[in-house]
Amino acid sequence: MDRRHLKPLWRRPVLSAAIALPLAVTGVAAGAQELVWARYGDISSLDPHRATSTLSMQVWDQIYDTLLSFDMEGTPGPNMAKSWEVSEDGLEYTFTLNEGIMCHDGSAFDANDVKFTIDRAFGDTPSLTRTSWGPITDVSVIDPLTVKVTLGSTFGAFLPFLADSFSSMVCDSNTADTFGSTTAIGTGPFSLVEWVKGDEIVLDTNPDYVNWGEPIDNAGPPQFDRLIIRTVPEPQTRLAALRTGEVHIAEPPFDDVAAIKEAGELEIMVAENTGQNVFWEFTISRPPFDDIRARQAVAYATDAQMAIDIIYGGLSQREWCPIARGVFGNDQEFCKQYGYEYNPEKATELLAEMGYGPSNPLETTMFVWTGGNRHKLAEIFQAQLAQVGIKAAIEIMDIGTMNARVKEQNESPDADTPGTFDMMTWSWYDPDILYQLWHSPGAYSGYQTPELDAMLEETRTTIEPEARLKKVQAVIKYLMENAVHVGLYTPGWEWVFAVRPEVEGFKIGPFLHPNFQDVTLSDG
Amino acid sequence: MGKFIVQRFLAALVTIWIATIAVTILIHLVPGDPVRIMYGSFQTTPEELEAIRVRLGLDQPIWRQYIMYIGRLLQGDLGNSIVGDQPVLDILLTRFPATLSLTLASLAIAVVVGMSLGFLAAYKRGTWVDVSSMVLAIVGVSMPHFWLGLLLLFLFALQLQWLPVAGGDWRSLILPAMTLGLANAAVLARLTRSAMIDIFDQDFVRTARAKGLPKSIVLYRHALRSGLVPVVSMLGLQFAYLMGGAIVVENVFAWNGVGRLAIEAVFARDYPLIQGFILFFATIVALASVVIDVAYAFLDPRIRYS
Repeated sequence: MDRRHLKPLWRRPVLSAAIALPLAVTGVAAGAQELVWARYGDISSLDPHRATSTLSMQVWDQIYDTLLSFDMEGTPGPNMAKSWEVSEDGLEYTFTLNEGIMCHDGSAFDANDVKFTIDRAFGDTPSLTRTSWGPITDVSVIDPLTVKVTLGSTFGAFLPFLADSFSSMVCDSNTADTFGSTTAIGTGPFSLVEWVKGDEIVLDTNPDYVNWGEPIDNAGPPQFDRLIIRTVPEPQTRLAALRTGEVHIAEPPFDDVAAIKEAGELEIMVAENTGQNVFWEFTISRPPFDDIRARQAVAYATDAQMAIDIIYGGLSQREWCPIARGVFGNDQEFCKQYGYEYNPEKATELLAEMGYGPSNPLETTMFVWTGGNRHKLAEIFQAQLAQVGIKAAIEIMDIGTMNARVKEQNESPDADTPGTFDMMTWSWYDPDILYQLWHSPGAYSGYQTPELDAMLEETRTTIEPEARLKKVQAVIKYLMENAVHVGLYTPGWEWVFAVRPEVEGFKIGPFLHPNFQDVTLSDG
Repeated sequence: MGKFIVQRFLAALVTIWIATIAVTILIHLVPGDPVRIMYGSFQTTPEELEAIRVRLGLDQPIWRQYIMYIGRLLQGDLGNSIVGDQPVLDILLTRFPATLSLTLASLAIAVVVGMSLGFLAAYKRGTWVDVSSMVLAIVGVSMPHFWLGLLLLFLFALQLQWLPVAGGDWRSLILPAMTLGLANAAVLARLTRSAMIDIFDQDFVRTARAKGLPKSIVLYRHALRSGLVPVVSMLGLQFAYLMGGAIVVENVFAWNGVGRLAIEAVFARDYPLIQGFILFFATIVALASVVIDVAYAFLDPRIRYS
């Protein structure tokens, strides 16, 4: 077995000055163990307030910690905050912090850092996800270990947000000029050594780290010395690097997963409870999808199970709900009763009612974003839809362009082309995503009614779990019955990991948070 | 000679000027609202988007946007990237050395392998050496960089384990340089062969042989020097091909140059960075062409008088 991956760092070939690459890595002690994790892309920022990508969040998880943490089922519990109290009116949350939490620069983490983080999220350059913090009106430091957060109105998604990476706690010793770009001081299991943009992020183990609440065995610091998160865009290159031992963990090419499993040289791990939802979503401002029958026809004509079996071979699951597994309110049985089982005859009937038939197919365009083999999935769906008389052209684009174009489609009721539909994807830790998508004006200016708005507001203002569940389920039922948000499958992107045999203890927490604290590196 | 250099330099400036127009129009050719595409987080308000539109000058008529762009350009300002909000020029200059080292290494491989193969094929014209060299050249020309890169990677990194798969140390340069260089060596081989066959048939070569000069002197001092003039003229074009090929090859081998940066910028919808890359690329290629043309003129005095 190749063991180059465990070669002491001092014996590794050093960068040649002659080629002047910005790849030099600060050295660590001889014999130190490093783990290399390769991903297809780089982060956007080290600042948790300046990016929203999964790639960025997964790195923040290593550098920062959160007040609360999710258990494996996605329920928030204590972490940096060992306890909290909620006032009777549900507007004041008083958190008590654990003692002895240390920032990477050696300063103590206390209530002032919590206040610094939240104030910063609402500051002059607010967080990109500031509304997800909730209607916070004040943050007060009671004493170094006690902090009180006051809300303007009750907010059901507040506690789950405090367990999500977007609420990562930032130490107030960070320097504004460099924070997020070249520096990042947190309290997480690893501290930043260097970020070579586009190439790699080098993190060293934080010896002071204490795990207060993450669902893992190790209560102390990680058990190896250095974590290198490297960008390797080409899937086949990542696989080759895994096989030679240059890389320990990476997303493999989908088409090779079966062969990798069969060869047994690498372990394939699949994330669960990711919160990722892939669904049909429609332009409802003009024909044909302003008519519920057209939306339902697409839903009935889609055999999602067959499609994901072909493309993902058991790596993904059919998802009936508009919110994915792991998210509060997800219940397959509940959602299925309002879902659309594959029924091409029913789809044909609905289309016939609308005047469409073999000589007059319903013509539309399906938007799909790049990656995750979705283009192949789209072709299968295209063929399924064609069988019932829906002629759907496919347009593939990046996710940012798709988000913008879906919104523009909805805002163009007088366009002379048929309305489009899209294979939309979202990942979130709470059913509050439904509010952000569908409460007017909505993320896409899509389907909206006063009735739905009122129901969504109740999912926000209700904080007692059982009562909130009922409100969430009412919204799910409404969205599904109106064929507004038709769940297809979960997960959908960056959820498969190939792991070398010498890596033991690698875990993937809920909402796709890779965790390295239990990892040990053997000699293979 | 001075006039020739000035002419070539002015031609390069025209090329760069056309590129500035292209990059200004680029942002308006993309379907959808560019501001929403670049900055449209689902929690961004319409007011914030409008403020960004004003800040970027995208609320202005396109001719005014162009004048503003040229004004900034003359001060060396290519704008700031969307991702990370950093000066585009700084980002490009940080990553350009990696691309330059890859391009130069590839060029060296292309020149050595391509010219040797071409010369050998011409010298052994009509033999199995000629035929097999040219078959190899056709395969090299036809094979996409992407595919050749993966084949080399599987052979040298995965099977033989002689070289690393991806970035990290200087040895990582070898495979991407081979990928780029071998594909371009094929072009040079065909060109060298044609040029050398012409030269071998020239009277001065025959005369040199007739007056009793050793074969090696005739081949290397007389024939090769003359035959390489048209080949050298192609190097400028080859450099442009190599820079273009670097975009694909850097991605395959995780080589952290401007080619990969361009792909990252496209996927991140970072228009200022995409614009900066195109202009930077055009400038480098145009200036490299000037250098090659001038060198060519020095090699062949007929060029500057024509």
